[in-house]
Amino acid sequence: MRNIFLIILFFFFIPVQLAMASTEREINIYKNIRCLVCQGQSLNDSNSDFAIDLKKVIKKKIINKKSDKEIYNYLTERYGDWILFNPPLKINTFLLWGFPLMFALLGGVFLYIKVVAPHLRQ
Amino acid sequence: MKKLFKISLLVSVTVISFVIFYYSLKANNKNNPNIMLNKPLPAIELTSLVNAHLKQELPLINRDKYYLINIWSSWCVPCREEHPILMKLKDKIKIYGINYKDKKTNATAFLNKLGNPFYFTGSDKDGSISIEIGAYGIPETYVVNSQGLIIFKHVGPLNKKIYLRISEIIK
Amino acid sequence: MISNLGAVLLIVSFLTTCSTLFLYIKNNIIQKSSIYLQFFLFYKVSFYLILFSFFVLIVCFAISDFSIISVYENSHTDKPLFYKISAAWGNHEGSMLLFILVISLYGILFLLNSKNINDSLRACTIFFQSIIQLIFLSFLIFTSNPFSKIFPVPVQGLGLNPILQDPLLAIHPPFLYLGYVGFSLVFSLLLAALILKQYNSRWASIAKKWIMLPWSFLSFGIGLGSFWAYYELGWGGYWFWDPVENASLMPWIASTALIHSIVVMEKLKKLFAWTAILTILTFILSLFGTFLVRSGVLNSVHAFANDPERGVYILFIITIITLGSLIIYILKFPKESVNNNSFALFSRDFSILLNNYFLIFILTVVIVGTTYPILLSVFTGETISVGPQYYNTILAPFIFIFLILMAMGPLMKWNGNSLISIKQKIFSFFIVSIFLTILISLYLSRYNFIFLLGVLCSVYLIVSVFYEIVMSKKTFFTKQNFSRLFSHLGFGLLILAITLNHFFSKEINAKIHLGESFFKQGIKINFLKSESSKEKNFEELFGIYKITKDNKTFILKPSVRKYKQPQQFTSETSIQRDGLSDVYIAMDYAGDPSMGMGVRFYYNYFVRLIWISFALITIGGIVSFVRRGNEKTI
Repeated sequence: MRNIFLIILFFFFIPVQLAMASTEREINIYKNIRCLVCQGQSLNDSNSDFAIDLKKVIKKKIINKKSDKEIYNYLTERYGDWILFNPPLKINTFLLWGFPLMFALLGGVFLYIKVVAPHLRQ
Repeated sequence: MKKLFKISLLVSVTVISFVIFYYSLKANNKNNPNIMLNKPLPAIELTSLVNAHLKQELPLINRDKYYLINIWSSWCVPCREEHPILMKLKDKIKIYGINYKDKKTNATAFLNKLGNPFYFTGSDKDGSISIEIGAYGIPETYVVNSQGLIIFKHVGPLNKKIYLRISEIIK
Repeated sequence: MISNLGAVLLIVSFLTTCSTLFLYIKNNIIQKSSIYLQFFLFYKVSFYLILFSFFVLIVCFAISDFSIISVYENSHTDKPLFYKISAAWGNHEGSMLLFILVISLYGILFLLNSKNINDSLRACTIFFQSIIQLIFLSFLIFTSNPFSKIFPVPVQGLGLNPILQDPLLAIHPPFLYLGYVGFSLVFSLLLAALILKQYNSRWASIAKKWIMLPWSFLSFGIGLGSFWAYYELGWGGYWFWDPVENASLMPWIASTALIHSIVVMEKLKKLFAWTAILTILTFILSLFGTFLVRSGVLNSVHAFANDPERGVYILFIITIITLGSLIIYILKFPKESVNNNSFALFSRDFSILLNNYFLIFILTVVIVGTTYPILLSVFTGETISVGPQYYNTILAPFIFIFLILMAMGPLMKWNGNSLISIKQKIFSFFIVSIFLTILISLYLSRYNFIFLLGVLCSVYLIVSVFYEIVMSKKTFFTKQNFSRLFSHLGFGLLILAITLNHFFSKEINAKIHLGESFFKQGIKINFLKSESSKEKNFEELFGIYKITKDNKTFILKPSVRKYKQPQQFTSETSIQRDGLSDVYIAMDYAGDPSMGMGVRFYYNYFVRLIWISFALITIGGIVSFVRRGNEKTI
């Protein structure tokens, strides 16, 4: 009964992610970019010369219908992966994503073997 | 025996971590400004500071053996400091200037007063050309070879040491 | 003159700590006596000496004695007295002295509040505490002496970073230190118990309150830091997953896991080894955090003066302490207590095990996210950034499940093995929270999946806590779980507030000319006028803005300050309350003012609930500590 209810509920509310307004998209990109000349700030939080120039460049690219990926590629080609706050999944970041998940998996298996399995056997 | 094994395992793991973090203190884990080094210079088109019809496309392939790109502005104090070095380099290498977010009158006055080291000065009104070639700010200097590869890059004002290195490279 | 006194006091306290250690060894090994009066007395003396030298340092800062390097580098005569004093621990040297003072303070607190424990355990604990104290005292004296002199004496100091000239930030480090440095005591207590073969369930009841105290301080300290970043940095956010923030979060997560596992150890005599490892881990992560913050391996918004040279020493200290404690653990861990580690599937003890599993996972994510860029640059020379999106993506799904488990766990019985008795409750909580979630989403007309999931899971926990409160109305204030309810309620509200804040906050970046207004997203910002004023150590330019939102108007007065020593600009935010939400505005100091003044406007939805939840979590910890303190059973 409850399950049915939950399924109905989630179906009802499946997100209708409308295309975000361009300004919102801009802000999302700015938030993911490090202002390289500042201390740990994102582009969105900074108004240094560098940040202002970069924001203009990104805005222009958005107007020219460039995708987020193209914009990020443009920036990493010039400034390296350091500029992105959200590290892309590559060989050098594989462990960043993989290690915690591997750890979660191993921990789960450990708990299962140590606790759940003996219990089920009883 | 088991305890001995555990202890030796523990000691080795701890010592390895110590060594790794010891090196981390020395490693550069902040920004690497040389990402563009040994990469081709992105294509840019400079519009002359003095004459809006005069254009110059970069990179130039198979023209000069080396040429230099310098980003500067009249309001930037370190640019004023490095200017004499540019004047010295002028005779050894062609220098393309990128005038960053500047007023035309101030820029020309600056060059009239301190001398003009540039073979060609393009203007970058909104800073987008500087971003295109991967600059952080001003002043910044690039040495490009005939294949259009950036073979040297310096962030910040030129000094005597950098001058000698550039002279060495372009010899 | 007085600075010499400070230096002498430090040396004397170093020698006293040495003799404390010597006395203990003499007592135990040579005389085989268990009377420790002299030993305790010496320890107390060493504490007073450290306390006194800390006061001397404060006095040096208060009177601006520039013959001391750290005063010269971090103070200025133009500064208000309050910031002169707080500058004493706003720099590396002074903060390390505070660090040692806190280690010593916890030793003294333990000595005064442990009369019901046998003397040999007390003495051994103090012995280990003195070793830690001695290690850091030698670090202080030999590498970062706060009383180092400069000659010739400068006339004026260099000043304190203006961003640190803030009342909250002045009291923030002491609280953080009372937090994570405080874990040194339970660490010493563990080593002492292992050595003396007293590591048993009674140890757990003694140790718990020495975890709760620093845990409460740390929770409060993290809350303060977050609040400071919120209003001082002017970026509208309250948590940036910045490495320095993570450094304080790591011991907090480990100690939260410890708080739970130690209950199982106390009540059911299980999880002995795991609890010991968590105790050691908590303290080592505290030290590791110090290493990250103080050594300069990080690039962070929180600007500290760093020195890699010091990093090597701190790293060395961590290595020694890790090796020492784990070797003691391996050699001395009692064999007989390993038995009885079986868990029934639907028992409260198993749910605590699951809690630990989730917390350790979260801890792993934070550790990996913080250290990965450092390690990557060591091995490959590449540099990457790990920002909020990484943590949010990887943690969010786990947090949601964690919340549900948090609500279910306490319903189960210790050693129980059946869901039947609580099935009804679980089911009805679900109905109630689904109903509430629908109400909330209809009211806010937002139907995003993640949003609904976040609200549902946090409401589920909140509902279950309220159910328990209502059910135990009469016995509420005497019952054991009083503090747990507070902290759990706080956590449920925290996640709810974060979800609401994430989905309903608004952000506007605009350039507005004087007298003009800007309209976007139903919010009107009107730049009314500007004013300027002059203070002792800075000049200030105010902008007066009128904000109109949903027929409500707010007058906000952000400013830009130009500090004299050192010359630096800061942007002061202006914040006003709108229910539990904040109207928040900050001005930019960069850019051409003739083009209009840049402002960053934020409507921070339900942000005040976040501070309330921090407070609830902290109160839970304090209540638990106080109640444990009044117990006279041991």
